[in-house]
Order: sequence, then structure tokens, then C-alpha cells
Amino acid sequence: MHKLSRLAINEEGFVFNPTTGDSFQVSETGLVILGKLRDGHSDEAIAQALAEKYEVSLEDAQRDVADFRASLKNLNLI
Amino acid sequence: MKPAYEKPVIKKLHNGLMNKFGYSPAYARKVRTDIDGVPVADLVEKFGSPLFVYSERILRQKYRQMHTAFSTRYPNVVFGWSYKTNYLNAICALMHQQGSIAEVVSGMEYEKARALGVPGENIIFNGPHKAQAALETAVREGAMINVDHLDEIYALERVAQKLGRQLHVGLRLNLDAGVYPQWSRFGFNLESGQALEAAKRMKYGGKLVLSGLHCHLGTFIMDAGAYARQVEKMVAFGCELEKAFGYSIEYLDIGGGFPSKSRLKGVYLPPEVALPAIDEYAEAIAQALTKALRPGDFPKLILESGRALVDEAGFLITTITATKRLPDGTRAYVADAGVNLLFTANWFKFNIEMDREVGGVNEQSVIYGPLCMNIDVVDESVLLPPLSCGMRLTVSPVGAYNHTQSLQFIEYRPASVLIGERGEVDLIREAEDLADITRRERMPKRFAQEEVG
Amino acid sequence: MDELYIGVSGINAIDNPGPGIGVARSLKEDPDLAVNIVGLAYDAMEPGIYMDWVVDKSFILPYPSGAGEAFVERLLFIKRNHGLDVVIPNLDAELPLYIKHAAMLADHGILTFLPSMEQFRLRGKDRLLDIASKISISLPCTKIVNSLDGLLQALKEVGLPAMVKGSFYKAYKCHTVAEAVSHYHDLVAEWGYPIIVQQVVTGDEMNIVGLGDGEGNSLGLVGIKKLSVTALGKIWTGVTVKNQKMLAAVAGFIREFKWRGPFELECMVNGEEVFLIEINPRFPAWSYFATGVGLNLPSRLVRRCLGLPVPPVPDYDAGKLFIRYTYELVTDMANFQKAVTRGEAP
Repeated sequence: MHKLSRLAINEEGFVFNPTTGDSFQVSETGLVILGKLRDGHSDEAIAQALAEKYEVSLEDAQRDVADFRASLKNLNLI
Repeated sequence: MKPAYEKPVIKKLHNGLMNKFGYSPAYARKVRTDIDGVPVADLVEKFGSPLFVYSERILRQKYRQMHTAFSTRYPNVVFGWSYKTNYLNAICALMHQQGSIAEVVSGMEYEKARALGVPGENIIFNGPHKAQAALETAVREGAMINVDHLDEIYALERVAQKLGRQLHVGLRLNLDAGVYPQWSRFGFNLESGQALEAAKRMKYGGKLVLSGLHCHLGTFIMDAGAYARQVEKMVAFGCELEKAFGYSIEYLDIGGGFPSKSRLKGVYLPPEVALPAIDEYAEAIAQALTKALRPGDFPKLILESGRALVDEAGFLITTITATKRLPDGTRAYVADAGVNLLFTANWFKFNIEMDREVGGVNEQSVIYGPLCMNIDVVDESVLLPPLSCGMRLTVSPVGAYNHTQSLQFIEYRPASVLIGERGEVDLIREAEDLADITRRERMPKRFAQEEVG
Repeated sequence: MDELYIGVSGINAIDNPGPGIGVARSLKEDPDLAVNIVGLAYDAMEPGIYMDWVVDKSFILPYPSGAGEAFVERLLFIKRNHGLDVVIPNLDAELPLYIKHAAMLADHGILTFLPSMEQFRLRGKDRLLDIASKISISLPCTKIVNSLDGLLQALKEVGLPAMVKGSFYKAYKCHTVAEAVSHYHDLVAEWGYPIIVQQVVTGDEMNIVGLGDGEGNSLGLVGIKKLSVTALGKIWTGVTVKNQKMLAAVAGFIREFKWRGPFELECMVNGEEVFLIEINPRFPAWSYFATGVGLNLPSRLVRRCLGLPVPPVPDYDAGKLFIRYTYELVTDMANFQKAVTRGEAP
């Protein structure tokens, strides 16, 4: 989570990594997940939060959180 | 009510690729819920997925449009439906109903046209391989035969000998009209004098009468001027033949090769911008004819258009059966149709439309087909929002060559339907089953297994 | 006078510069026009977006290779939400789209001053022979190829070294077949077919920027010679020239083809012989050179477009120098963020 806390994230979905100089664009739900990951929530809790907030089944949300985490790993952000 | 959900996406920004429209939902994203008013969902429910769908409305409209473009500019125009482009019986019958004769390039296609009730004299028989028996049948039935090579001249002379009469035939030419690569493997070369030699040989044999010229430059020709150069050369050669041998050229068959609004890979601009309209082709051809021909001389102008008529009328509905994330982060999908049904995916970038609006950022995605082979890729790079399993994609234009070149490799070929002008849906080819695959197989007795049970 | 909103694309002032900044700067220098420059960019990193003393506001456009409707829709959006009276497109790849939609854009109050599609096709690299023969200048041996086989055949006919050129951009001088093949693949991957193979001719590289009124008259011409070029062949220093043969040929080009809009004619001049290398149907990246010697072609274009008085064509002096230089600006991320997330900045 250390890397995540260093990111500069703006509410329009623009993310800047001051360590590497990389910029990213993130979708609205991606922003929600990023925020919760930074606050130390578990994947399960995040999926539940998504399912509560949005029109999506828990199963799909779980899948998407896992997929999003894989993307973050791939981008070397976690 | 809860807000709509979009799948979460994060993308790294790369220099040179920071264009928001690449990812924005409003752009580049296409939704198709119906084909000619018939919902995609209903079509799949009734006929299964994948499914080839043809639009009678578009077919007839394309035909009329193209026929008008040519017949208003030249008084003696005949269309020969190119069977190989799509020889589903219903499609061929529709083309014949519109007034097209048949253009076939093999014994099989010839038999198919005959079985559809097309009389021999309304069949143009082209191609590099015409078996002696097929040739003889075609001659007996009065088909127009365009000779591809010297051995065919011999073969036709044998038929003439057998029938005891002279035969009227056409000569296929290949020539330099500025289109490269030149399709020099078909017919006789004009510039080198090979074609003239062939005519001389016919005259000398005395059994064949040269009465037509045929030339097909290539496929997906984006320069209308190429046809003008072709026509000019054909007319000049016709005059030379008339003068040298007294032949009278009754028809000029200029082939096809007109493009459809499909996106050839490697062409930067969209087809609506990159391609000339069919009227521009017609204008170039008619002008060249008028300039080159003697006043009052109007030999029959034959066009063998296939792709330009049928491609945009064909759609393939396919279903997403799996979603994947590749090790490099690329989003990937497995669809139930691949290159087994979309052979032309090799050359064309299809229009891919989703069956519903999907929120979320577009991602560069790859769509794989169902084959257990690495080459089975429908689109290696398409911008799509995150899709879910079970979603349908409509792929177009796929009316040309995809059905005729489809494979039975590890999958059954799907059903084909035609949507009529009043929205009626007719099944024009059933989905295959195991019997279609094994019907011709024979089991040696020693392998026959006793039934279990 | 009301502020005029003028859209200018090609504001990528990089080492292979687009013409946009020179065009925008010229417009800003017409004291009688109150011009608001609308930068039309394809990437959030195009320098023009950040050059606020030349470009007032920038918008990201969808790529012209996508669906034409999205492109037009974006222009209409800019018209509605910001203002867009005239567009001067400066990139080859977007010109066909603008030409095709010119009448429709005009109906919506967005004017352009462009050649017809027929004129545009005529100057295609595959049609130059028709032009060269009509305006009595020479053309190096040129082949259009659509396949590797075609390339090899063309190289045999043209001989080595040969120029291998993309259909829109980029040209490479190739000394070996291997070099030609490698550039061929790169060009195809980036810009598609066809590829042009051209004989290398020697001489002085001279160019002309001009503006035709569409009725056979010139609205101004300036001829230059390139004194030094970058690795990509882009002018770095140049000098104005008055080569009568070249100027006469260009006047003939405008007259004969009733060219409408800006153009750049690239030549090789070897003593008495003038070879036509290329005709670009838009302003060149060095357009400000003409403005600097007293002929403000972008402003004349806008005036012509809007029916404003166009002053008589002034003469220019031969022997004026053009010196390009580099410059840096430092800014924070705010505008970049906006360009990325909103597609407009500042």
C-alpha cells in the first residue's frame, strides 16, 4: 500500500506518480477502489461497497476488484 | 435507484497516445441492437450464435445503386454475379431476380448455377481450372467461356472437334493499368504480345472464334482511374483483333474488384473518406469507353461485381464467451466466431458493434475466436469498454467471401438468415451438425466398434 | 470588430513541426483582425496547447482515422461551446475529412478555404506527372507501390539511392535494398499504403508557399531555398529566393488547376532544370517565413474566406534569412490534466 499512498490523485480521474513521473487515467469506479485501497480496505469489503453503491452484483464486483488489482500490479502501483 | 455501474479501469498515459477520444465513451464506441429492425437478441434466440445475417434491403439497394450508376452512363450493361463472393442459394437467386447473370470460376460453381435454374447462356465461366468435362458441358449449354491459358485453347479445340462446330469464346487478359501487384498469373499478358499470339493461335486453329475480352485487375481497387486505363487498353486491343483477324468483339468483361465500405488494414483514413464512390468508377469507365470506342459501337459491358454488392449486406453475430487479462495487461475476449467464419479478418478491420450501451473507459482490447490456434484473432486491437460474458457483438461488413471461405475446422458452421424487406426473417442455411461433418466418411469394417451397453 | 475564432491544427511544434504555430502566429500579427486562436490538437502533449501567447484555447480532437461523424461532432461542439468561425487544417491526414465535409461545416458556420476533392487527389503523389507535364517542369522517376514485390520492382526501375516516402508523411533516402525494405515496413505500419518510390535528383532544394483563390489567381507566393535541414529533412535555416522558372511554374499551376487554398510546392533546382518533388495541399511548417517578409498568407486566407478586403499582393525581397531556434517553457500539470481528462485546456 506504500506506493499507493504516494500517488497524486485528482477527482477527475487523473493520477500522477511522483516517484516514477508516470501519469494515469482512471475511471470513476477505479477512483473509488483506489481510495479504499489507500484506506486499507480489503478486496472483499471494497467489492461489497461497490455493490452497495452501484447497480452491480457482488459477484461481478468481486471479479472486477480482482481484475483492477491485477492492473495496478501490472502498472507497478502496488 | 443506484447509479449505473462501470467496470473499473486504470490506464497509463503514453506520449503520443494522449488523446481522450481514444478512451471516451462518447466516441469510437458503437452499439447495434438490431439489424434492419429485427433485434439481435431475437435473432440469436431463434437461430443461435454465431449467426450470419444478410439484409435483403441492402442487397437490393446496392444492386440498384450500382446498376443505375453504370446503365445511366453506358447503354449496354450486364452484371454477372460473382458466385465465389457468396454462393448461398438465396443470395444468388436474389441477384438473378435483380437481373444479374452468373459468373462462375469452377465446375462446382457452374453446377450450382445450373441447379438454380440459370440457363447456360447466362453463365460466364472463368478461372484457371476448368476440367475438360466441365468445359464440354458448359460449351454444350452455351455458356460464355473466357480462356485463361494456352492449354485451355487446346481443350476447347478438342470440344469443338467433337461437336463439329466453331465455338465463340472470350480471352482473359492481364495488363498494366497501374495496379500492383499485377495479377499476371491469370489470362494472357497484353503488353508482351502473349494475348495477340493466343488470338493468332485461335485463328490458325480455325475452331475458335474470339468474340469477347475479359480482364480482372485485382481486388479492392481504390483508384477509379485504373479501370479507365484498363478499358482503354481492352478497346484498343479489340480494334487490333478486328483489323488483324476479322474478329468482332461483342463483349468487354471488365471483371470486378470494386471495393466495399470495409476497412482494409493499413489504410489510415476511414473508408467513407478513402474510397471513391461507385459513381466515380462508373464515370471513369464510361468516359474511357466513349472515348475509345467508335461512335455508335456499344459492345456489351460486363461487370462481375461481388464484394461491392454483398459485403455491406452481411453481418455476423457472435457472443463473448470469456474475458481475460493477458500478462501484459491487455484485455482479451474469446468469441464464439473466429477466423473459421471470418477468413477476411486477415485483411480487413471489421466494424464491431456491441448489443447494448456499456459504461466505462475504452481499453485497447483483443478479440480471439474459438479455435485452439494462435492465429485465431478477429481483431488484435479494438477500443472497447469492459465487456461481460454473454454479450453479443455484431461484426460487419462480412457479406463477401466469409461464408464461402468458412471452415468446418473443429466447429460447426452456423446458420445463415436473410432479413426480408418487410422485416421477415428466413432461414437460408441451417446450422450444421455432426452429420454434415461425417456424412461422407466411411468406416473400414475392422474398426467398427460394438455398441456399448 | 468582433473577435474571430480561428481553428488551427498542427500545433505540434516539435522537431518535426506541424505548421500550426507559424499559421497562428501570422494570424495574431494582422493588426486589423481580432483573432482568438483555437488550437485543434490530437495529443495532450502538443506544445501549442501550452503556448498561451499564440494559442488561446485548445481542444483535443478524435483522430481523423476514426469515424468521420465523431470528428465533425467535435468541431460542432467547439462551435457551440466556444466559437469557431474558420478552420485552417494543417495536417495532410485530416484534409480529406475537411474537404469532404466542407459544405456541411459551412452550413453550421464553420468556414474553410480548401481545394476540391478532385484538386486534392490531383496532387496525390501518384498523379504528379499530369501536373508536371502541364506546367512544364520535370518529375523524377516515381513509382507507387502497394506490396513488397512492388517495392523491389520499383527499386530496380528507379535505381539506388532512392527516396521511399509514406502516403502522408515521412521520406527516407535509401542507399540499399535492405534499407528501403526496412523503411517500407515502418511507413506501412504507420501510414498505410501506398508507398512512393522516387528517383533521387540532385540540386538545390527550393520550396514555394502559395495561396490560390480558386479562380486561377494567386493571392501570394514566396519562394525559398533551404540552407540547412534537420535529420528529418525539415528546414532549419533558409533564404528567400526569386527563381523565375520556379515562380512561373507555380503561377502556371494556380492558373491551370484553379487551385483553391494554401499549398507548398517542393522542387529541386539544378541549373535550368526544375524538378517537381511534391505538392502539399496546405501551409508548410515554415509559413511564418512568408509573413516575416511581408506576405501574411494565413491572414489573407481568412480575409478571403470571410469576404473581407484582401490587400494587393506585396512584393518580397530575395535574400531574407529564416533562422529557426529552440526555446523552452515550464508549466505545472494543471493544463495537462485538463487536456487529458476534459479534452480541452486551459
